[in-house]
Amino acid sequence: MNKVVSKAYQLLPKFKASSGASCDQDLDQSKRSFLGGLVGASGLAIAPGVMLYETANAKPADQAVTDAVRWGMLVNTNQCTEECDACVTACNDEHGLWPQEGSTTDSQWIRKLTVTDPATKHSKSFPVMCQHCEHPPCVDVCPTGASFKRDDGIVLVNMHTCIGCRYCMMACPYKARSFVHEVLENQLPHTPRGKGCVDSCNMCVHKVDAGENTTACAEACQKDGHQAIVFGDLNDPNSEISQRLREFGGTQIRADLGLNTGVRYQGL
Amino acid sequence: MLILISTLSMADGSKVPPPNGDQCVEDPSWMRTHHFETILHQRDETVIRGIRTTEHSLKNCIDCHITPNAEGEYARYSNDEEHFCASCHSFAAVSIDCFQCHSDRPEKAVREAIKRHQANGINPHHGMQKSVSDLIFNSNLQAVQAK
Repeated sequence: MNKVVSKAYQLLPKFKASSGASCDQDLDQSKRSFLGGLVGASGLAIAPGVMLYETANAKPADQAVTDAVRWGMLVNTNQCTEECDACVTACNDEHGLWPQEGSTTDSQWIRKLTVTDPATKHSKSFPVMCQHCEHPPCVDVCPTGASFKRDDGIVLVNMHTCIGCRYCMMACPYKARSFVHEVLENQLPHTPRGKGCVDSCNMCVHKVDAGENTTACAEACQKDGHQAIVFGDLNDPNSEISQRLREFGGTQIRADLGLNTGVRYQGL
Repeated sequence: MLILISTLSMADGSKVPPPNGDQCVEDPSWMRTHHFETILHQRDETVIRGIRTTEHSLKNCIDCHITPNAEGEYARYSNDEEHFCASCHSFAAVSIDCFQCHSDRPEKAVREAIKRHQANGINPHHGMQKSVSDLIFNSNLQAVQAK
């Protein structure tokens, strides 16, 4: 089996060549175990239609999420402009993250970054949010198990058991988490959050569970005409996100950490 | 237990606006004494496993039980005996912290409140509601300062 898988893997030189240095190994490993679980890659290539995947339709409300899907997002930085912050505004509105006057500690679930290559002065602007890692450091360090990864790959804070120690904030290489320092008012019913807990991007889990198959940021980006953010199922080879990744590739921020993030970037 | 139930029934004051719908998801007398068990169970099912049945969800309780009064105002848990949950909890001297994070009103009411706040130039998150720990801290502070 191993032989078949590794041989089949050699059929994907483009993928291998396009990714960074040490992260290749982890990507390879995850790809291998993924393919290994599916009777080998040749089966995947010969008869893709035969494979049974859960499509992105709504799961029944009374059933638990499964690892048949892995939700992810792909950000095409070539289509993201520096002056646009539609994704940030949409996230704040969706989850009720109203900015507090005079507060320097507002929760940021998504933020726009602009990076410049010092050599060429070439700039890129793109949103960064929780990267929904396959191996999330925030989960590793959480002393109560409040920071956890759902079976479908969404990394969440269980605020019922979060004690506000903020280890996860230290552990996260993406600075994706925020701590709520002040008493909140007017939280929205689908996004409960409050003082003393850590919170972060939840990949619009209420929308995902309702089968809406999108996130507020992706939706806003589409509406704004940039279409830079694609949300979808990384496990489904026919999903738009998988097709785009297959065709154009995608990089992870800090891929060297080998976290296998669910959020990927193009053009970085 | 019978006494407890009857006293709890008495606590259903007439100040609370009637709920939407006419039948609770469980027997009301059982609900009065056991609703926290279903909520506690449901919260883990929802957060961890993504099970979103509405029958025993706190959100559904709120959507059904928290309705506007004659003036169209939604009662608040923190300072209003018209609030379905508060009406009984204050009577039975139960303190809970559900509503420090969870909304005590349906989404429509929250969105309306936010619009009002923004129209008045007030930040939607600026807390009118103080947490119990804040109140204790402040009263301790005052006590220290008085000395």
